[in-house]
Amino acid sequence: MSATPEESPGREEKPFLWVTRPLATAAKQFVKSLWRPSTVVYPFERLEDPKFRGEVAVASGKPIGVGEIWDNYRGVHALNINTCISCNLCAFSCPDVCIEMVTVPGGDPKHPKKCPQIDYGKCSFCGFCSDACPEGCLSMTTRYELSVHKREEMVYSPARMFEVYKSKLPMNPIRVERPANEDQILLDPPICIGCNACSRDCPTQCITMLDIAKPTAKPGEKLPKRIWKEPVINDSDCVRCGTCISVCPKDCLFWGTRQ
Amino acid sequence: MSNVSLYSVAYTLSSVLLGALAHLFPAPIHGWLISGTVVTALAAVIFAAILLLASMLNTILLIWYERKLLGRFMDRRGAMHVGYAGLLQNFADGLKLFRKDTVRPGQADPLGFWLSPTAYMVTSLVIFGLLPISTGWNGGSLPLTLLLALVIFSFAPLFIFLGAWASNNKYSLIGGMRSAAQMIAYEVPILLAVVAVVVLAGTFDLNTIVLEQRNYWFWAPLFLALIVFLTGMLAEMERIPFDLPEAEAELVEGWNTEYGGMLFAFFMLADYLRALVGSILVVLLFLGGWTLPSYVPAALTSFPLAGIVWFMVKTYLVFGLFVWVRASLPRIRTDQLLRLGWMRMVPLALLSVLLAALVVLSHCLPLIGCVPSMGG
Ligand code: SF4
Ligand code: SF4
Ligand code: SF4
Repeated sequence: MSATPEESPGREEKPFLWVTRPLATAAKQFVKSLWRPSTVVYPFERLEDPKFRGEVAVASGKPIGVGEIWDNYRGVHALNINTCISCNLCAFSCPDVCIEMVTVPGGDPKHPKKCPQIDYGKCSFCGFCSDACPEGCLSMTTRYELSVHKREEMVYSPARMFEVYKSKLPMNPIRVERPANEDQILLDPPICIGCNACSRDCPTQCITMLDIAKPTAKPGEKLPKRIWKEPVINDSDCVRCGTCISVCPKDCLFWGTRQ
Repeated sequence: MSNVSLYSVAYTLSSVLLGALAHLFPAPIHGWLISGTVVTALAAVIFAAILLLASMLNTILLIWYERKLLGRFMDRRGAMHVGYAGLLQNFADGLKLFRKDTVRPGQADPLGFWLSPTAYMVTSLVIFGLLPISTGWNGGSLPLTLLLALVIFSFAPLFIFLGAWASNNKYSLIGGMRSAAQMIAYEVPILLAVVAVVVLAGTFDLNTIVLEQRNYWFWAPLFLALIVFLTGMLAEMERIPFDLPEAEAELVEGWNTEYGGMLFAFFMLADYLRALVGSILVVLLFLGGWTLPSYVPAALTSFPLAGIVWFMVKTYLVFGLFVWVRASLPRIRTDQLLRLGWMRMVPLALLSVLLAALVVLSHCLPLIGCVPSMGG
């Protein structure tokens, strides 16, 4: 058996110390926190407030190193409505299906402008949406205060996220790079009917419908009923949103690499 | 300061009130209303009401004070949001408790269950009424005030045990038993320490004891007795490290486990009232009561109500000491408490009685020197 506490060398009974040492410790703590206890009076001051860090924490001799929110913090989203191209990529990439594309003013009747609306009741703050956003207009900020009174208030409309954007909070700078040899949109020409759907719905307007020569029908051959145009995709403008693929009525667009 | 007494305030208030009231009534009632007996009776009621108000206000303030102080000891802030720096938090808590239903366990004995908090509260209030706070603030000057106060003070374990027994709960019962057992440990040293003071002062009257301290406060010759008395008071108030009867880590909430709502508020208030009374006793017996040493500039002692102000400052400082102890020390066991009481505190208290006797006989103070007028 190991020695009982009474027998072990450092802990023999010293009744006087037994009382005075804790008293001294508590008194030291008391003096230390007399001016300012460590408590951060949260709603009134925040660890990351420059005022708090500069004037209070440092002035009282305890700069709090953990105070700054990490730049990479994934908090509430900021959305720049002005640069959003309604590509839908954010909604596609969301694993929790919490993004709904809602119409915002600014589009034309044919191309209503749609921006993401995020339900923070479902959001897991994974950041996939902001990674996916080709324009960098959806980004995650350091704002962490999400308490609300009602469930509906957890849904952030684009306008609300625009407000967050305008508050110029630090944004998460880390963004997944797009691979250099990303797949492109390719066309299967024989199936295309030249309907213009892809060109119409491309958010970056990078699809141009070019005329193609109408072949002369050989005897007995029936020419397909179609418009004699074909989409040509300006690959440097394409953001790989896949809208064209999903709107194509003939499924003639697909992902691939040009040989 | 000295000619305004609490009782004269109450008496004036009473005669003014009754005088105004008497105008509304015809002759016989009018005469009866302003007769000496009625005015005196009402004055007594007003006096008691003022005492009650003062004790309750002080008690609640004391809770706030403890919470804030304890917070600083623990590197936090304590109550913050209700009122300035949380000053009204305890009023809010009290209001909440008073609005709650009081549930008596089905198997509990109604008489004991209801009686014990009431008696606990009332006895604590009685002691507060007995103690002189200042020359003007004086509930009554009996020749044996000190003894009476101590006797009533030591009633508490009785009521605690009564309530614990009546609650019909094993934790309550263990708490009550501990409270009764604890009493054996601290009553004797406390009384012996008081004996030392009494030897020095030559009286049991608290007013005279304070006046006897005009040359030197009694803690100087009786430092040992002060330590014993402080420790004993800690045990008497059942505060950490001697809160064995409550011991929330082992006994749920100790003897008041079954009490909720208003009754719990009663116990809580009475607990702090007893802490207040204990601090007041320390100030009265050892720290010169409402007097200040003669080298303190007169400006500090001559403003109106200076006596009460200084008394309260001292009381709160003494209570701060108790909070300090609470913040530092862990709870001890019953056997340790008994050993402490009988093997450490009783000899120390006896020693201080001896010291007091020596001071009285030789008219000399250790470290201070010999003064012919010294001693009772
Ligand atoms: S952070 Fe993740 S879960 Fe939240 S909206 Fe974006 S993609 Fe969806
Ligand atoms: S990914 Fe970006 S550009 Fe596309 S719809 Fe979402 S926010 Fe707008
Ligand atoms: S994937 Fe299609 S719709 Fe989207 S940007 Fe590229 S070409 Fe336009």
